[in-house]
Amino acid sequence: MAEFRVLEIKQSVFESNDREADLLRVRLRAEKTFLLNLMSSPGSGKTTTLKRTIAALKDEFRIGVMEADIDSSVDAEAISGTGARVIQLHTGGMCHLDAGMTRQGLDGLGTDNLDLAILENVGNLVCPAEFDTGAARNAMILSVPEGDDKPLKYPLMFSICHAVIINKMDTLSVFDFDLEAAKERIRRLNPDVEIFPISARTGEGMEPWFAWLAGQVREWNA
Amino acid sequence: MHELGIIIEVVQTVERIAREQNLTQIQRLTLQIGELSSVIPYFVEQCYPAAVDGTMLEQTELEIEVLPGNGLCKSCGKVFNLREHERTCPRCGARSWELLGGKEFNIKEILAC
Repeated sequence: MAEFRVLEIKQSVFESNDREADLLRVRLRAEKTFLLNLMSSPGSGKTTTLKRTIAALKDEFRIGVMEADIDSSVDAEAISGTGARVIQLHTGGMCHLDAGMTRQGLDGLGTDNLDLAILENVGNLVCPAEFDTGAARNAMILSVPEGDDKPLKYPLMFSICHAVIINKMDTLSVFDFDLEAAKERIRRLNPDVEIFPISARTGEGMEPWFAWLAGQVREWNA
Repeated sequence: MHELGIIIEVVQTVERIAREQNLTQIQRLTLQIGELSSVIPYFVEQCYPAAVDGTMLEQTELEIEVLPGNGLCKSCGKVFNLREHERTCPRCGARSWELLGGKEFNIKEILAC
């Protein structure tokens, strides 16, 4: 009977993805392409927010968009109307994108002559938070109808984001959404986060978000 | 519920290590899961039998160690459990802290021959 022994492994399960994500960031920094990873629940208004954002920033930056979806091209079609370069990534049932899939997506999109690449991640607040995509910055959208308690339910997502957009502010009067409570809950998880209450439908409140994003892109690509 | 995909990755990693080290039997696999990692030990245990089915780990016992999600208060230096105290320092009430741990998800060790 062979003798059993303990083998120390001490290996992070997310380690290989983290390494790949770091490599991708180094490459994008060298290529002067800023990658934004945009996350949210399904139906929070990612695509509408993106369309407005592209319209506001397209004169200053060359923009490309990767639309990650389990299986459809409706978002890519909506975005292609803005004039930004766009590709659709089908995750085939996967609930998130990892750094390897993001790199393949960027290769498909082509990062030459691209200042700002935006990854519209799969609509999901759990798994995308676990996997570093290699993005320069993470942003997420919380919409008013989802409720001000979302940060309590999905703490990891709120703690890894550099910016949180609170969308559908034009519907505030019909929902029980306490903006100050939401902000407080987000800041408790993530004291340094930027919070932008907006309405992507009306365009209200979007200027500070455009300014923040533009500043981040300039800094990264400097 | 992304635990199944994650556990399959763990099984593949352990099988690779076993091949590299010429191991033939793995009696126990020990994982470390941080309280703040959003990997739920209960679901890991539920998924485990499906993930190891037909692999070298089919007979391997699973052990999970939960690591605490602790923060260091930036105001008064107290170390406290973030979840238990709702991310607020129980000594001085400050909400500014440095994360000390709790997001881990590690393969700690295996007992094998």
